[in-house]
Amino acid sequence: MLISLSHIQRLYRSDEVETTALLDIELGIEAGEFVAIMGPSGCGKSTLLNILGTIDRPTGGSYSFGGQELTELGEAALAAFRRENLGYVFQSFNLIDELTIEENIELALIYRRMPKAERRRRVAHAMDHVGIAHRARHYPSQLSGGQQQRAAIARAIVGEPRLILADEPTGNLDTENGAQVMDILQRLNDEGATIVMVTHSPSHADLAKRRVDMLDGQVVISVRNAI
Amino acid sequence: MFATILKSVLRQMRRHPLYVGLNMFGLALGVGVFLTLTLLVRYEYSFNAALPDVDRLVRVDTHWTMPGTPPGEVAGSTFRALPFLREDFPEIEAGTRFENTELQTEQDGVFSSFVSGLTDPAFFSVFGLKLLHGAPDQALAQPDGLVLSDHAAIRLFGTTEVMGRTVRLNRNGVTVTHTVTGVLARRTTPDLFSGIEMMAPFSSEDMTTRFCFLSWGSDCGRIYLKFRRAGDIDAVSARLRDFVMRHAAGADSDSHALGTHPEKIFGLLLAKLGEARFRDFHVLYAEDGVDRTVINSIGLMGLLALALACANAVNLATARAGLRAREVAIRKTLGASRRTLLVQFMGEAVLVAFIAGVLGLALCELLVPEVASLTGEALVVRYGLVGVVLPLIILVCGFACGIYPSLILSGYRPAAVLAAARMPSGGRGAARLRDALVTGQFGIAITIVICMLVINHQTVFMRTADPGYVRSGLLIGSAMPGHDLAAQRKMLDALRAVPGVITAGFGELAPRPDTKNLGTYSYDRPAGPVSVYLLQDVVSVSYFEVYRPRLLAGRWFDAAHGQDDLPPRDEAPTRKANVVLNAGAVSRFGFAAPDQAIGKIIKSGGMTARIIGVIDDMRFESPRQAIYPEIIFFNTLANQPFNDPIPAVRFQGIVEADMVRRLNRAWAGILPDASSDFSAVDARMSAYYSGDERRGRIFTLGAAAALLIACLGLYGLAAFAAARRVHEIGIRKTLGATGRQIVALLLGDFLRPVALSCVLACPVAWVVMRRWLAGFDERITLTPAHFLIAVAGAFAIAILTVLGQTFHLARAEPARALRAE
Repeated sequence: MLISLSHIQRLYRSDEVETTALLDIELGIEAGEFVAIMGPSGCGKSTLLNILGTIDRPTGGSYSFGGQELTELGEAALAAFRRENLGYVFQSFNLIDELTIEENIELALIYRRMPKAERRRRVAHAMDHVGIAHRARHYPSQLSGGQQQRAAIARAIVGEPRLILADEPTGNLDTENGAQVMDILQRLNDEGATIVMVTHSPSHADLAKRRVDMLDGQVVISVRNAI
Repeated sequence: MFATILKSVLRQMRRHPLYVGLNMFGLALGVGVFLTLTLLVRYEYSFNAALPDVDRLVRVDTHWTMPGTPPGEVAGSTFRALPFLREDFPEIEAGTRFENTELQTEQDGVFSSFVSGLTDPAFFSVFGLKLLHGAPDQALAQPDGLVLSDHAAIRLFGTTEVMGRTVRLNRNGVTVTHTVTGVLARRTTPDLFSGIEMMAPFSSEDMTTRFCFLSWGSDCGRIYLKFRRAGDIDAVSARLRDFVMRHAAGADSDSHALGTHPEKIFGLLLAKLGEARFRDFHVLYAEDGVDRTVINSIGLMGLLALALACANAVNLATARAGLRAREVAIRKTLGASRRTLLVQFMGEAVLVAFIAGVLGLALCELLVPEVASLTGEALVVRYGLVGVVLPLIILVCGFACGIYPSLILSGYRPAAVLAAARMPSGGRGAARLRDALVTGQFGIAITIVICMLVINHQTVFMRTADPGYVRSGLLIGSAMPGHDLAAQRKMLDALRAVPGVITAGFGELAPRPDTKNLGTYSYDRPAGPVSVYLLQDVVSVSYFEVYRPRLLAGRWFDAAHGQDDLPPRDEAPTRKANVVLNAGAVSRFGFAAPDQAIGKIIKSGGMTARIIGVIDDMRFESPRQAIYPEIIFFNTLANQPFNDPIPAVRFQGIVEADMVRRLNRAWAGILPDASSDFSAVDARMSAYYSGDERRGRIFTLGAAAALLIACLGLYGLAAFAAARRVHEIGIRKTLGATGRQIVALLLGDFLRPVALSCVLACPVAWVVMRRWLAGFDERITLTPAHFLIAVAGAFAIAILTVLGQTFHLARAEPARALRAE
C-alpha cells in the first residue's frame, strides 16, 4: 500500500465557528492506481487532496506514505517529502507569473538542488512529454488555459514523483483542452505514475481506475471502474 | 467632487491604515526635513542681506605675497590706509575702522566678558543700523560713549532703557567708565554684527601708539567703506595697486613703510559685504565664512529627503494601484469617464500630500529649535518663506504621487479586470519602476550616510589629532597687558607657586592666537639665497616643559647659554640670536633633514640668527590652514619684557576647574584690574572645529532622516509584496521549498535594489568626500571602512525592516496560501 489514511479528521476553527471539513476518513491507495475523487462543492475533496499533498495538516488520524508516518513530521521534513515524492496539478494552474514556462517547470528541481545540466535535460523532456516545448520562453500570461495546464502537468512530472495530485485539472478548460489533459494523465498512469484527481466531471472520473465519492467530509463510495 | 475625494481618502485611511500611515508619515518627514534645511540654507544665504545699502558696502582686505609662503587674502587691513583712502577716492561716501575684541565689564570685582568691537564715530554713517535708543551720529562721538545690543543691555541692567547709565570697562588692564549712548535694535536677519554686544570708540592712545594704526605692514583691523554708487567699487579696486605704491612705499629704514616696492608683497582688495558669507570661507581670519558647497549640500540633502519621501509615496501608490482595480472597473462600468477618475485620483493624492504637508510643517516647528541648538544659529520658522514653499511642495508632491497611479488606474479595462482571477500589479514595468525608486532611495541614503561618517570622523580626528605638543594638563591664560618686566617676572613666579602646577612659561603665541608677528628671513644656501616669511614667537624659560613639543634636532634653549637670550631691540642689528625653527621652516629653507639646519645662520634685516634646534610643527590654528613656518626666540626676562605674553601652565593631580580657579586667583594677586581667562587648549581651539562639528550634526540628522524615509519605503513595499506574494509562496512551498529557502528568496528580492544602490552610492560619496577633505591641511584618509560600515549598516537596517514581513510570509501554510486568491 502506497498511501494509508486512517481516521483522518480536519476541523477549521475560527473565533466562534468550528467547521468539520473531513471526518474519520479511511482510505488506502496502491502504487500505480489512478483515483478520482468526486462529490459536491464543500464536501472536503480539496481538503483531502491538500492533506494527501501535505500542504495541510489533519487535526486527527494518521497518514502513512510508503510506510512512513507523515503526521509527525516537521515543516522542513514535509517540504523535503513533497520535493521528492509529489507532483501537483491545480485547477487554476498556479504558475508563477514572473517566471517563464521553462523556469516554472525547473522550480521543482531547483529546490532539490539538482545540477543545472540535469535540470535542463529533465525540463526539456517534461515539456516534450506534454507538447509545450515551443512555449518554453513564454510567460504564463502569454499562454492559453490548456497550454498553462500542460505546463503545470510538466512541472508536476518533471521530478518523477511517486504520486501526482490533480485538483480539478480540467475545471478551467474547455472540452477539447480538458480531453487533452486527461489523455496526458492517463498516459502518465499507464507509464506507472500513481495519480489522485479531484474532479466534478463524471466522464473524467470514469477514465480513472477507481472512483471515490465524498459527502459532508466522509468517503461514501469507493468503486473500481470497469475499463 | 471634493466631498467624494475626502470620503475616499478617509475610507482608505480606515481600510489600509498601514499603507496610508506609511505614505503620510514618510511624506510628512520628508516635508519637515526639507522645510527645516531650506530655512537653514535661506538663513546662510541671507547673511548681511538686510544691512542697509549692502550693495555699496565693502571690507578692505589685504593680499600678502611673502617669500616662501603661498600668497593669500587676509580679512583685515592696516588702519593706516583709511584716511588716505578717503582722501584719494571721492567715490567713497563714508569709512570706518572696526576691531573685533572682547571687552570686560567690572562690577564689585567681578569681570564679565562681552563680544565687542572698537570703532570710529563714523560707524553708523557706514552701517545704517537702527538704534532702539540714541542718535546714530552721536552714539560714538564721545570717547567714553558705549553702544549696547539690546541683549547686552538686558544682561547688564535688566532693561533696554539704559541711556546715560555708566559701565566700568577694563581696557588694557585699566578700568575706565563709559556712558551708554545707544542701544542697538534687534535684527532678525543675520549679519556680521549679529554677535556684537558692545561697541566703544577707539581710545586716542590706541590711535597714536598701536602698530595697526601706524604701520602699513599690518592687517590687524577691519576697514569698512560705503561707496556712493555700487558701480564705483570695481573701478576703485582697479586703482588700489597705484594707491599702495603711492602711500605704502618708503625707505627700508622706515619701519612703518613696506620698502620701495610695496606692491610686490602687499595689495589691498575690496570684499563686497553682500558676498562675504561664502567668500570669507577662503579668506584667512574671516570668522563668519561658511563653505558654500557645504551649505548647498545641506540644501541638496533637504531636497533629497523630500525626493525620497515622494519616491516612497509614488512607489506605494503604484504598488497599491492594483488593489483598487476592481473599484475602478466597477466605477467605469457604472459610467465614470477616464477624466473623472483621473481627477479623483489626482485629488486624493493632493489631499494626502496636503495632510502630510501640514504634518511636515508641525515637524518643522519641532525640528527648527533642535537644529538651531545643533548649529548655534538663530534659526526661526519664517512663515513668509514657508507660505510660498509649502503649497508648492504639496502641489508637486501630490502631482508626482498621483500622476502614475491615476494614469494606470484610469486606464484599466473593466472587462479584463473583472474577469481576472488576480489583481493587476502594473506588470513588469511597474515592478521595475518600484525597484528603480528603491535603488535611488537607498543610493541617496547610503551616500549621505557615508558623507556623515566621513565628516564626523574628520571632526573627531581634528579634535584628537596630535597637534605637536601635549594638550592634556595644559592651561592657557589671557595675554598680559602692558610691558612691565617686574610684573611679568612676578606673574611667572606666582603661577609656578600655585599648588599642582608643574611649571609655567610665557609665549607670545598660543593656541588660537589673536595677533601674529611675521618677518622675512633669508639663508645663503650653496645653491643660492632663499627667503622665507616666518611666524615669530618669543618664549620664556620652561616653555618647552609646559608645551612639551618634540625636539627633532639640536637642543632647546638654555638660560645658561648667554647667546640664547634674545638681544634687546636696540642691540639686535649687532648681535647674534640663537633660535629654534619648526620643521616647516627648515624644509622651506631647503634643508633635507632637521639636523642639517643646526648651526646654520639666517638673517633678517641686520640681525643674524643661529639655528640651535628644530622642533616638530605645533598646530595653534585651524586644521584647515597650513601650519606657518616658525622661528622661536628665547627671552629669559633678564633684560627685557615680553610684548603681551600669554602664560601657559602645565599641571597635574588637580581637577581642571579647580586649577583654573587657583590660577585666576594667582593672576588677580599680580594684576587685580585685568581679568584672566585660563582655559584648556580644546576650549580655545573649539572655534576652529565648531563649524565642521555643527555641519556634521546636520549631516547626521539628514542621514538619519534619509535612512528612515528609505526604510519606510522598503517596509511599505515589503508589506505590499508580502500581501501579493502569498499565493506564489504557497506554490513554491507546495513544490518543496523550505521556510529557509523562502526567507532567502524574499530577502534576496528585497535586498537586490539595496545592493545595487550601494554600488552606485560608493563612488559618488568617494568623489564628494575626497573633494571635501582636500580643504583640510590635516585630514583623515578615506578608507574602505567608511564605505563598508555604511553599506553594512544599510543592509542591516534593510534586513531588519523586511525581516518581519519575510518570516510572516515564509511561515504561511501552503494550503491557506493557495486559497488566498
